[in-house]
Amino acid sequence: MKNLRLFLFTLRQRIAKLRFLSWLSIPLPGIVNIIYGQYIKGLLFFLAEFWFWIICFPTFGLAQLRQLASLGETPRRAVLQPDGTAILQGDNSLQILLFSIFIIAMAVAAILIWVAAVKSARLAEKELQVGRRPTSFWQDLKNLFDKNLHITMLSLPTIGVIAFTVLPIIFMICLAFTNFNGTNLPPTKLFSWTGLDTFRQVFGSSAGMNEHEAVVAAKKAYTFGSLIGWTLIWAVFATFLNYIFGMLISLMINKKGIKLKGVFRACFVLAIAVPAFVTLQFMRQLLMEKGVINTLLLNWGIIKESIRFLDNTLLARITVIVVNLWIGIPYTILITSGILMNIPADLYEAASIDGAGPFKKFTNITLPYMLAVTTPYLITQFIGNINNFNAIYLLTQGYPLTQKLYEAGQTDLLVTWLYKLSITSQYKDFNIASVIGICTFVICATLSLVTYNITSSKKKEATFR
Amino acid sequence: MKKLFAILVALVLVLGMVVGCTPKTEGPGGDPEGPVSREVKLKVWAAQEEQELLAMLIEEFKAANPDTTYIIETGVVGENDAKTRLQEDAEAAADVFFFAHDQLRDLVIAENLLEVTVSTEDVIARNLEKSIVAASFDDRLYAYPATADNGYFLFYDNSVLSEEDVQTLDGILAKSNEAGKQLMFAVNDSWYLASFFFGMGCTLTVGPNGKAIFDFNSENGIIAAEAIKVMVQDPAFCVGDNAIFAGGIGSTLSAGVTGTWNAAAAKEALGENYAAAKLPTFTTASGEQVQLGSFSGYKLVGVNALTLQPIEAMRLADFLTNEANQAKRFEVRGLGPSNIAVFNTDAVANDIALRALREQSPFSVPQDVPGRYWGAAAAFGNTLTNLDFSVDIPTMLNDLVASILGG
Repeated sequence: MKNLRLFLFTLRQRIAKLRFLSWLSIPLPGIVNIIYGQYIKGLLFFLAEFWFWIICFPTFGLAQLRQLASLGETPRRAVLQPDGTAILQGDNSLQILLFSIFIIAMAVAAILIWVAAVKSARLAEKELQVGRRPTSFWQDLKNLFDKNLHITMLSLPTIGVIAFTVLPIIFMICLAFTNFNGTNLPPTKLFSWTGLDTFRQVFGSSAGMNEHEAVVAAKKAYTFGSLIGWTLIWAVFATFLNYIFGMLISLMINKKGIKLKGVFRACFVLAIAVPAFVTLQFMRQLLMEKGVINTLLLNWGIIKESIRFLDNTLLARITVIVVNLWIGIPYTILITSGILMNIPADLYEAASIDGAGPFKKFTNITLPYMLAVTTPYLITQFIGNINNFNAIYLLTQGYPLTQKLYEAGQTDLLVTWLYKLSITSQYKDFNIASVIGICTFVICATLSLVTYNITSSKKKEATFR
Repeated sequence: MKKLFAILVALVLVLGMVVGCTPKTEGPGGDPEGPVSREVKLKVWAAQEEQELLAMLIEEFKAANPDTTYIIETGVVGENDAKTRLQEDAEAAADVFFFAHDQLRDLVIAENLLEVTVSTEDVIARNLEKSIVAASFDDRLYAYPATADNGYFLFYDNSVLSEEDVQTLDGILAKSNEAGKQLMFAVNDSWYLASFFFGMGCTLTVGPNGKAIFDFNSENGIIAAEAIKVMVQDPAFCVGDNAIFAGGIGSTLSAGVTGTWNAAAAKEALGENYAAAKLPTFTTASGEQVQLGSFSGYKLVGVNALTLQPIEAMRLADFLTNEANQAKRFEVRGLGPSNIAVFNTDAVANDIALRALREQSPFSVPQDVPGRYWGAAAAFGNTLTNLDFSVDIPTMLNDLVASILGG
């Protein structure tokens, strides 16, 4: 037995010295590992590749990929059988697209494994050349919980992100280049690739349209531009007003001599304890034309007519921003009060001695300190507000409606418009919704990357004390 | 380091094999042996209010067919949502579903509905002719009529408004103002908005080529819109929904334009003062009185085109809408029947709400509307009820027409 192992080892060393066998793993992944004694690993490599390329890909994969170009030829139908039941036949564009993306992702993974197999064979060969045994499967496994622990820890999240975030995003992006909308809903209808048509619609091209279609196309483009404008205005106000007011309140609570600090803080935190959507529904009831606020004001004789908090464009926009303060300020208080207590008191003392007033102290000590620490928080808040579905949809549902906008109201953000187009609209403009999604992503990514890179948080990343 | 990754990817691939490459089993469940132990799985969608009755009827259906084992699952999907929900995933949707008849065109065009082949002639013979028209497309019957009461009329408070007052919109508004109450008429909702335009004889329908026929921007349409503009500025006018109607009728509301689904709520709130009538007339700018029009609609029961049990599904749909069960639906839910025999019973003829609906029916238009109408008209109606008159009426109407014809 011992002799046999020694013999095999010597034999393998001989073969390894020839320096060509590892190339065999390019056409036959895993085989070289088996020859070099890494039986389990080699077998796994081989089985994975064999299963995918010989069994799965030619039958299932090719069938999907062949249809990817057309996204299906015959729509799905139920075919009646003699016994009165039916079976389903025909294609489903959505499934074809979904499975194609899945199979492509699997193919990429299979290629990566193939590359790994070749590299592993080369490594084993090198080890043998210098007279060492290639690592066994059990050693590899052990290493994964020892010096390669980082791989063990990171691989699951990585695979998760790829499977549940990256692939769906690729799928959604693909929809922007199709005519997937209310008139082409699978499975009873098919949709197909239309290139950049949807982008042209959103950006206002009206080539080849009749008079009425041009009006609608112009409306879509106007809606897109108008909603981007309002989304950014909303994000700026919602983010910075919350930040400033939250900071001011926590400054006031932190001020020396204020009693019952805990009670004040608890009061504000109570607003967090009530779920935001409950608050928003409640506010909506309060602010309606026949709501409590209007009724009270009318009864007290302060106003003659109901104030249209939610029906007048400007008022509705102000209302959503103000109501959002109610929901956002407590969070800012929580985050800032800790940081405020950390600012060294001697800075303030020194400033006082130099004759600085409260305002000077705020602008020259408090604000720079706060900004340095909380810029990443501000950026996430800003991006969060661009996509702040709840605050808008639960309070106004995008209303007031206007004829100027396509399937949208004056307080709709891009994200609520996207929701309306794909979920509540009669016409299910999934492709337009996808284009909006892409645009929102580009806006958010650009803004956050640019702002983050010019902040001191980034520049002093390594030196922060 | 690549190794572990490779191993994990391999694992994923293996999992993928289990998920992706196993041959899909499609087709009917149950064994093909024969009818002895036949098992039929069906899914039925109906509105929340229908569920109790539906459960009862399903039990009766099972009892009437003892040689087949039925596994019938029910889901809550309102008639108005049926098309949307069905088209989200037609394969996973119900086999049998209730839907509002205005969705029929879209459902047929999208090939979501199966043509009726079980007891077709019987269905045509036993239901009101208008309901059969509503359930047909290109002279083919695509659904089983279940009710004939989707429409709106006027509920009012007898103690505030007299029978004379409710003849005219002006009368209602004047009396309501005196009493400090309001008329609820949701003209911000496209469905109710059309009332004024139909009164003036405008057209809103879909032509044989599938194109919208729509002329709300005609001279008559402008007259109608001007009348709406006058009404929305009256202090006794308000908009609202089912909740506001149910909560307000009898207290803050003197009258409301809505349909049979609110009859129970109105009866309960008003008690002896409960009354209903056809819609009133409105006054045009030139002083003429014009009768308000309305939509008329039917609730239908359709069969999903992708059902695996087409015959059984149709038998169930037929059962749910037969004479006996339409009578039950009237008794339990107060819904107006489309079945001729039930329609002619005294109980139906004397029902206050259904009588008002019947009075309104000569002025009603079958609801066959291009889908773009709803969103575009809601924007138009909301602009008016928000009292935003910054754009003149003809321009707004032209925009409305372009949005619908160009959609």
